[in-house]
Amino acid sequence: MKRIDAIKKIMKNIRDELVISSTGMISRELYAVKDRPRNFYVLGSMGNALGIGLGIAINSRHKVVVISGDGEVFMSLGTLALHKKLNPKNLKHYILDNNCHSSTGGQPTCSDVVDFSKLAPNTKVIKVNEEKGDAPRIPILPKQIARRFKNAISSNRS
Amino acid sequence: MKKYNFIAGIPCSKLKYFTDRIKKYIPCTREDEAMALAVGAYLAGKKPLVFLQNSGLGNIVDVITSLLKPYGIKIDLLISVRNKPEHHAFMGKITKKLLKLLEYRNYKLVM
Repeated sequence: MKRIDAIKKIMKNIRDELVISSTGMISRELYAVKDRPRNFYVLGSMGNALGIGLGIAINSRHKVVVISGDGEVFMSLGTLALHKKLNPKNLKHYILDNNCHSSTGGQPTCSDVVDFSKLAPNTKVIKVNEEKGDAPRIPILPKQIARRFKNAISSNRS
Repeated sequence: MKKYNFIAGIPCSKLKYFTDRIKKYIPCTREDEAMALAVGAYLAGKKPLVFLQNSGLGNIVDVITSLLKPYGIKIDLLISVRNKPEHHAFMGKITKKLLKLLEYRNYKLVM
C-alpha cells in the first residue's frame, strides 16, 4: 500500500478526533490528504509524536489518533512502554512501517525484527511501500498549527 | 507547586524531596518524552512542569529547538544540578550557559 493511501484510509473514519502526525512525509501527506485545525503536525522533534498524543489523551476526554512511522517510533521506543503503562482508552496509534527512513533516501531501520503492536496497546502497524512521496512542505507556520489546534480543543471541551 | 496541574519527569536523588511530596506525576523513560507529554498537556489546556537532572539536559535540546521554539510553547523546568563526581563535572559547569544559549528562561535550578 502507498503511505498516502494508508493515511487516506485512516482519515476516512476520522470525525472529531485529534490527529497528531510525526515529522517528515507523514505530516506532509496528512496535510495534503485533509488539513484541519484538529491536526497537529509535528514538523521537527522526531520521536515525540506519541508522547504529545499521550499528554493530550491523559489530560482530556478527546479521542486522539497518532500517525507515526517506524523511524519515528524507534527514536523513542520507551514511549511505547509508557503508552502501555498509562493505557489511555482514548488513544489509537497507527505506525506506517516502510522499514526505512524514506524522506532521507531510504536508509534502513530495524522494524523488520520488532513487532511494535506487541509492545503497546491500541497500536496498529500498517506496512507501506518504500517511497519518498512528493507532497510539498506544509505552508502554515508551526505557531499557527499550535494556536489553531489549541483553540479547536478548548472550543469543544469533552 | 499549586500552579501546576500536570507534572512529568525523570527522577534525581536531589529531587527526591520533590517527587516524594508531589506523589502524582508521570514517571517517564527519557527527558524528551517528559517534554512531549508536557506539550500535549499544554495543548489540552493544562499548566505543566517537567523535572529532570542536568545530565538529561542534552536529551531535551532537540525538543527545545525544534518543538518549543517554533511552536511558541513554553514549559517550566525544575532542574537538579549535579557537578560531581567527575562524570557530572562538565555538565555541572555548563548547565547555566547551555540554558542561556538555548534562550531558555523559565526554569528553576536545585543546587
